[in-house]
Amino acid sequence: MPQPNLLTPPASIPPATALALSQKAPPILSKSPTSSLPWPLSLLLSTETPATWTIHENLFFAALRTGDDASARKVLDRLTSRFGADNERIVTLRGVYEEALAQNEAELQKIFEDYEKILREDPTNFAVRKRRVAVLKSLGRTNDAITALTVLLENSPTDAEAWAELSDLYARQGAWGQAVYCMEEVLLVMPNAWSAHAQVATLHYQSAHTNSPPSVSALSTSLRHFSRALELNSSYLRGFYGLKLASKALIPLLSDAPMSNSAKKRAAENGDDDDVPPPKLQTVKRLEELATEKLAEIVRNYNAGKKGWTGYQEVEVLAAKELLDKDGKVER
Amino acid sequence: MAQPVVQTIHRDPALFWWILLPITVVMILTGVLRHYAMTLLQTTPKKQVLPQIRQHRSLLRGVNLRQNANVLSPSSFQARKAYMVSAFQEGKFLADPEGRGKPRPNPMSDPAAMEGMMGMMKGNMAMMVPQTLIMGWINAFFSGFVIMKLPFPLTPQFKSMLQSGVGTRDLDVRWVSSLSWYFLTLFGLQPVYNFILGSNNAASQVAQQMGQVNPAAGMMGPEQDPDKLFQSEAENLEVLEHWWVLEGVEDRLLAKMAS
Repeated sequence: MPQPNLLTPPASIPPATALALSQKAPPILSKSPTSSLPWPLSLLLSTETPATWTIHENLFFAALRTGDDASARKVLDRLTSRFGADNERIVTLRGVYEEALAQNEAELQKIFEDYEKILREDPTNFAVRKRRVAVLKSLGRTNDAITALTVLLENSPTDAEAWAELSDLYARQGAWGQAVYCMEEVLLVMPNAWSAHAQVATLHYQSAHTNSPPSVSALSTSLRHFSRALELNSSYLRGFYGLKLASKALIPLLSDAPMSNSAKKRAAENGDDDDVPPPKLQTVKRLEELATEKLAEIVRNYNAGKKGWTGYQEVEVLAAKELLDKDGKVER
Repeated sequence: MAQPVVQTIHRDPALFWWILLPITVVMILTGVLRHYAMTLLQTTPKKQVLPQIRQHRSLLRGVNLRQNANVLSPSSFQARKAYMVSAFQEGKFLADPEGRGKPRPNPMSDPAAMEGMMGMMKGNMAMMVPQTLIMGWINAFFSGFVIMKLPFPLTPQFKSMLQSGVGTRDLDVRWVSSLSWYFLTLFGLQPVYNFILGSNNAASQVAQQMGQVNPAAGMMGPEQDPDKLFQSEAENLEVLEHWWVLEGVEDRLLAKMAS
């Protein structure tokens, strides 16, 4: 289990850690980070470091996440008095706070209009733009959220976070082509992010299953992306999980080779296939075995609580176990 | 077997208290003061307008596509390349599409460039003024004093560095004059400032002179024509030889895991 730490970004912490973090609020809030002395003397006695405010910000998010609204309010007030109410980041944080406290759609609608007003004054505030998308999402207006994100990305096309979000929105709507495109943009910004590779693979895998029989080219692309994710991080649970699923789906399709061969030729003539042939059946079988073996190893070592193997999320390990059990090949 | 004669000069111990220490303290305080003066004089960087952000980041996207093209499958890469190249050539992302092909205006008449120059001037002033004052002060009051003796021998080449303002030819190099002590502190106090003010302080002149050269070297400096940048990026994309990192990845993975 990674140590709960207020300096790590809030997005990547599981709920239990978030709770542990938000419980650190009272001691932090009891100490004042800025000195109460008048100006020139306060410079000498201040205990303020750049980390102080990162801690405050993350504490704010952790508190909101765990429903500790009072602490969040205090942290927000503190940040506001330090950086001023007009600071871009503070405006965003205040927006997050209001969103978290909003009870019904009418209140969200009001927050949305506030965002619109801020953006009319300063159209370059990308953090508020993102909040606006988030509000649209919670209002259930997915199409509007997609439009808003497209506008944002038109103006800032190197924003990986926004591309990933847009990909997610498209995937919810079942627009797999667009979702894959957006996720590939994320890869262009961060070519070695194994999680992004796994996400691309997942999208390809899901899109393959929308037509029956599942398309071989999408499945093999999915398989390759999972393989790449594992090449970058060889203990990536989700990668093995996906590799197993993708290879299992591919084996029957590749097995009846003559038919798929002619199908491939037809596809090649139509020109809609990638110019890279699908992987060999032998290779896919070996990949499937490899994934099964590795998943079993992870489950076994996680349950035994072995050192160095306990960093996985419990849910993911359980899911892996279930997949193995369904397969009936658990080695114990 | 005569030992070389060790020069001894009887110095008034008050020299230490009334010259060496004051110069050092004054130099440190000026550095600290300069740091705060620079912080106050700094203008907040002007906000970029939306079209400019778009222009900059679109170019960056092209660079990203070129550098990381190997994560894309061939068909996907070709589609993107076709789109980006045509958009770049048409100047779709330019902040100022009308200004295409026109020569760049004189930087002197551009208010944004003027602002940068003003910042530079301010930095120079904050450096020059105290330096001139202190130099004058030391010259007026302390010139010609020999204030300390280094505890180690040195070669005669250091004479001009350590004994400026003292015009004696035969004085041992180990003796340091007051004016030289000023220069030594002027250039050697950076670690002290780092300790007092943190590592990115504006106290040292050396760091400032470096800083003045840097911004002009930025990728999208005001003197560069964005249209030219887009055109050259389009050309770079055109000639790029594409390969797919995912080709044969399954065999690589098996080989890696087997070993």
